[in-house]
Amino acid sequence: MPGPPIGKFLVGGIGIELVYSFIIIICSLMIYFATKEMDKLTSYKGIKYFRLAFLFFALAYFFRYFIQFFLFSFNLNGILEFSPMFFGAIQLLIFLYFSSMAIFFLLYSVMWKKWNHSKLTIVLFNIFALIIAFASIFFRGIFVYLTINIILLLVVLFILFIAHKNSKKKSKSGSPFIIYLLLSIFWILNITNILIPRFLSIYQLLVYLVSVLLFMLILYKVLRKTGD
Amino acid sequence: MAKRGKLDIMRDILKIIRENKNLIKPTPLLRKSNLSSASFQEYFSELLEKGFIREIEDKNGKSIGLTDKGFRFLERYQTIISFIDEFEL
Repeated sequence: MPGPPIGKFLVGGIGIELVYSFIIIICSLMIYFATKEMDKLTSYKGIKYFRLAFLFFALAYFFRYFIQFFLFSFNLNGILEFSPMFFGAIQLLIFLYFSSMAIFFLLYSVMWKKWNHSKLTIVLFNIFALIIAFASIFFRGIFVYLTINIILLLVVLFILFIAHKNSKKKSKSGSPFIIYLLLSIFWILNITNILIPRFLSIYQLLVYLVSVLLFMLILYKVLRKTGD
Repeated sequence: MAKRGKLDIMRDILKIIRENKNLIKPTPLLRKSNLSSASFQEYFSELLEKGFIREIEDKNGKSIGLTDKGFRFLERYQTIISFIDEFEL
């Protein structure tokens, strides 16, 4: 019996997307596991939410591209072929939910002291992430997608800017605000990249390259600080 | 003097125990920690719950000592604080 057509799957740019998502997943998981001991020792909320943000990034990218490779590898591509449109919609829904949650957790990791810490905040994050994901699926217009995400990006950037301005503790080795700002921009670029597929291959490659560099920079900073 | 954060207080309590040859009675620990009785009790319970300290019963009564996890916390404290500052968490 012939094996799954992975070779066919890897052509046409999917291979690049696979490598890209693989790097993001590995970087995110390395950040998640490198900070595990600190989280266990301290139960410090900021560290917990920071870790969760990267766990959600890893999950988002697994469902964005990697799951297809996974299904092909285990000869389960029948699921994809059964209803590609349905599968694509579900995949996008999960990706948008997890990536929104990642951004919310990243935001919360720097804001948890200022916002009254309660379970309600996490519930609200889930509700917002679900609204974003479902709205993006149901209103199948690029304008709607972009409007929702640009509004969200502006809110996130505004909150981060205020938090940074009022922060008493300033990082000695350059502001993490720049990283958070870049991560937020990375998020919107990736969303536009998904919603406007094959817009410009140079644009896509640039988004991938910048995203990978950004995640590697964060991973480097984390590993340097955790000493792992 | 800057207000101590939760992690600083935990570190201070654990450090006091370590500097007392890893065995101290609750009353001198309370005195040396510079905390109110209520606050001390809160932190003491949390440290016990997290497994950083252990209570040791002997003929002289109850004493407190650090566990391996408590020693590990002290060892990693500077790294943890530096990480929190680096990412403004």
